[in-house]
Amino acid sequence: MSRYAMAIDLSRCNGCNACVVACKVEHNGPPGILLTVILEKETGRYPNANRTFYPVLCNHCEQPPCVPVCPTKATYRREDGIVLVDWDACIGCGACIQACPYEQRFHVKKEAAARAPGGAEHENPGLRTAPAGVPLKCDFCYHRVDAGRVPACVEACPTGARIFGRLEGGERPINELISRRHARTLLPEMGTSPHVYYF
Amino acid sequence: MSDVRNTAGPATVQGPQADARQPDDAWVPTVCMGCYNCCGIRVHRVAGRVVDVAGDPRAPNSQGHICAKGKARFRDLYQAGRVLRPLRRRNPEKGIGIDPQWEEISWEQALQTVTERLRAVREEEPRGLVIAHFDLPGYGISKAFGTAFGTTNFHWNRADYCGSAPHVANLLLNGSFNGELDLDLCNYMILWGTQLGHLAETIPLHAAHKMADARARGARLVVIDPFCTNTAAKADEWVPIRPGTDGALALAMLKVMVVELGRVDFEFVKRGTNGPYLVREDGRYLREARSGKPMVWDAAGGCARTFDAPELADPALEGSVTLEGTSAQPAFQLLKAHLARVSVEEMAEVTTVPAATIRRLAGEFSAAARIGSTIEIDGHTLPLRPAAIHFKRGSGAHKGGFHTMVSIHMLNLLAGNLDVPGGQRGVNPVGPFWSAHKDADGMLVPAAIITKYNRPYPPSQAAPATSFDLHELFPSSLFTRGLYPLGISEGRRFGVSYDAKVLLHCRTNLMMNSPCAQAMAETLRRIAFQASFADRIDETVEFADIVFPDAHDYERWDLFPANDMYAFITPGPGDWFWMMRQSVLDPPPGVKPWTEVYLELAQRLGILDKVYEIGNEAWGIDPAHRLEPGVRHSVKDIAERQARTLLGAHFSADAITETACFVTRPKTLAEAYPKPFLDARVPVYFEHLLEAGRQVRELAAKLGLDWDLSAYAPLPKFIACEALRPDGPYDLLVVNFKLPFQNHSISGENPWIDEISVANPYAYCIMLNRDTAAERGLEDGERVVVESRYGREEGTLKVTELIHPECVGIPGIFGHWAARTRLSRGKGAGFNNLLPAPHGGRIDVVSGQVDSCVRVKVGRAGGAPGRRGR
Repeated sequence: MSRYAMAIDLSRCNGCNACVVACKVEHNGPPGILLTVILEKETGRYPNANRTFYPVLCNHCEQPPCVPVCPTKATYRREDGIVLVDWDACIGCGACIQACPYEQRFHVKKEAAARAPGGAEHENPGLRTAPAGVPLKCDFCYHRVDAGRVPACVEACPTGARIFGRLEGGERPINELISRRHARTLLPEMGTSPHVYYF
Repeated sequence: MSDVRNTAGPATVQGPQADARQPDDAWVPTVCMGCYNCCGIRVHRVAGRVVDVAGDPRAPNSQGHICAKGKARFRDLYQAGRVLRPLRRRNPEKGIGIDPQWEEISWEQALQTVTERLRAVREEEPRGLVIAHFDLPGYGISKAFGTAFGTTNFHWNRADYCGSAPHVANLLLNGSFNGELDLDLCNYMILWGTQLGHLAETIPLHAAHKMADARARGARLVVIDPFCTNTAAKADEWVPIRPGTDGALALAMLKVMVVELGRVDFEFVKRGTNGPYLVREDGRYLREARSGKPMVWDAAGGCARTFDAPELADPALEGSVTLEGTSAQPAFQLLKAHLARVSVEEMAEVTTVPAATIRRLAGEFSAAARIGSTIEIDGHTLPLRPAAIHFKRGSGAHKGGFHTMVSIHMLNLLAGNLDVPGGQRGVNPVGPFWSAHKDADGMLVPAAIITKYNRPYPPSQAAPATSFDLHELFPSSLFTRGLYPLGISEGRRFGVSYDAKVLLHCRTNLMMNSPCAQAMAETLRRIAFQASFADRIDETVEFADIVFPDAHDYERWDLFPANDMYAFITPGPGDWFWMMRQSVLDPPPGVKPWTEVYLELAQRLGILDKVYEIGNEAWGIDPAHRLEPGVRHSVKDIAERQARTLLGAHFSADAITETACFVTRPKTLAEAYPKPFLDARVPVYFEHLLEAGRQVRELAAKLGLDWDLSAYAPLPKFIACEALRPDGPYDLLVVNFKLPFQNHSISGENPWIDEISVANPYAYCIMLNRDTAAERGLEDGERVVVESRYGREEGTLKVTELIHPECVGIPGIFGHWAARTRLSRGKGAGFNNLLPAPHGGRIDVVSGQVDSCVRVKVGRAGGAPGRRGR
């Protein structure tokens, strides 16, 4: 089965953060945890200085280091490549958080699960909220994908910088983009074969 | 094992009025109000509660996308500090940090109290009522209410923060309120003190996509800004400039283009501008004695003719003539001679932009404009000018705002790119039921619908002020609303003969978005009674005597259309579309939209029928759908009548289920690219300012004002802000810029926006260039104090390469202090608190724009913590 992947056109990302909020809304995201962020980095010296915007998220690796370290097999990869966590099977040991070279797994602490004190809660009743103790991560919005929709960050992005789809097949195969735009992945030397590509 | 931990299925689309027997699960189309733009959205309501929002794929201005602000703001519905009951102040003392000692009262008590106050002021002097808000679709209601009431002071918003000067330049040269760029065809774009296409300007979602497309197809983007904003970060070239010197840079670029390169669209200058109009030695047009029409010299005929003479073959742009003893020169000749005296090297010193860069930018821009090229569209041959400059508040909010804006815009004009394919374009100067036209001098006059407040051209008669915005003192302005505080505090000096007694306020945080919080507190204290409509108690609501709990915009209907067609429909080709803001859910018990409360107050005051009478005209309701006297029409009912007028009698407000965006028809070519089709000229020479200036000088002498009125000059000039003069230890200039995920002072309490702001390296910081910080021994991350002669702000230092070394950068409108703010209090700094209250030396005397330049010094924070200077 062809894997799902995301390609991110860095030239189109302007750091507006629509994706970050969209992700937060879609996942009943607890305070302090952002499953995707835009890293900003300054380059050069004034006046020839600039900054870059770099959206990051779980890479849904072909060889995910988080999977083999899980003692209960709570972390698993679906046939379509989406890496998920079965919260009911998770014992909260944190091994997967340690194993992720991209630092894209976040431990849901008790206070985060309970939400900010006095704060109004956001609870989409159609979505399950992460219980305390589990690792929370980008899940490629598999619940939307399974229903034929794109992930929330992809839908929101005002410039269309995030492109989601199957590596092969379909109208816009990501593989075609990857080769045409010479896309690269993060930390290729780790041998994880990420499914998030940048060009 | 539970494979599925999220269970949301595909969304179903249902109407807002779901069947009571079915579980409530609907996506309701409406219009976002996360900022002043009006993007089409769909709001997901489940069991009476909003759980999500997305862009409306059918709305041309969002096309299914949404920004961070729009996505986050349904959380505001459920904010902890939401006002749910009317409140009355018990503490008569008002001020920063003073507890109003609120007590809850009933709606009846609140309405009675406010009605009595309004009745009293109406009997005494109705203009003593001031209305302040920045709720664009609500203007229709408040203007009709204010007019029926008898006040002219119904537009205090935040125009000091907006574009008093930029709008004037667009009105004069495009006949439009706003400007934009042809992002489909433009190959060389300069954004000058603005962030078009990067989520912090008008029509943001559509422009962001188009801008990304433009860059992808290789269009070059140059950004002129003291700070490397998100926009500058995406540019091919960031040109840092000393704040307040944009006018000097524009003049230098004009010099290069006109004098050094001679690269000008002479055909357009001859036919589309007043460039050939003969100007006498006293600066006025040479007019034909019989008709009074301006004359031009016909180089082909060897004689002078009126500008519109059919036999005019070749209008001369240069040379000089003497006719019946009067010598005169074409306006363009005066402009050229004027520019010849500009020194590029001197301007390089002033702006800190190297002379070589100035020459290169002017050269690249004028070459990319491909002057003389054409394009075939729908069988018409139109000029193609694929280079354009866009400007806004960053470059315009200065003492010389008018001249800076027209200097920059004149680069567009001379490239011949105004409202043609590839070029700079005004936002819809011509539409289905409005059009710019020309006056007797052949000059462009914007449509009345766009200049319904004031018009910069033809100028009005200067006169002593009768309103608190003092607009009569600015006969060639659009709006001067940034001057309300000056008019309220010192109106007598300018001719205002009464005092402000009652303030109806909502949805504008005057305390934070105006210069100098202390001065604004003084202004608010002068007004004996303030009623605010609010969903939370912000810094301005803390001054209220009565607070009405206001609805979120998901909980209300608005007048139709919600998108002002001359500001919020992308110019150029596309469809005309009209958007309806509809209620997604009922407000909480005891909460009402402020617009409905205005109608209720009008009824209690006995002026509701008059409001309808005014509204029937102002709101464009045709006779078949007129509002009837003696009936209490809801805002929804009024909006439906407006929509039936525009869209047809079949329209039903209850049937908006798929999209809240209604397309009527595609634009015609003349609407998409108006300039070649409009028989009206635009100025290279601002002759009208001579007479306006004479009147203002006379008036200023009568009123005893010592204002510098040298800006009433017909040729573009550089006017330095007072902050450009050295001032002892105040050795830096502070600059302000927008972030794409924050909106004014209203988004800081949103938990999601707060979270990304905290995570952002710049949002809640004070920026200094690395060298500047090193000179002062200041280090990244430490607490610093920024101090002007007028205020003091404290914050966390961010040492960066991304800012001009003479500047301190403070983004957004941050540093909240209201007692009931929870997340935003004390985060970031408040740029506006470093500014003095507006006074003569800091006002652009042509446009009424308030200067935002101020000198500061920066040092390590020490001593008592907390907020000083307030």
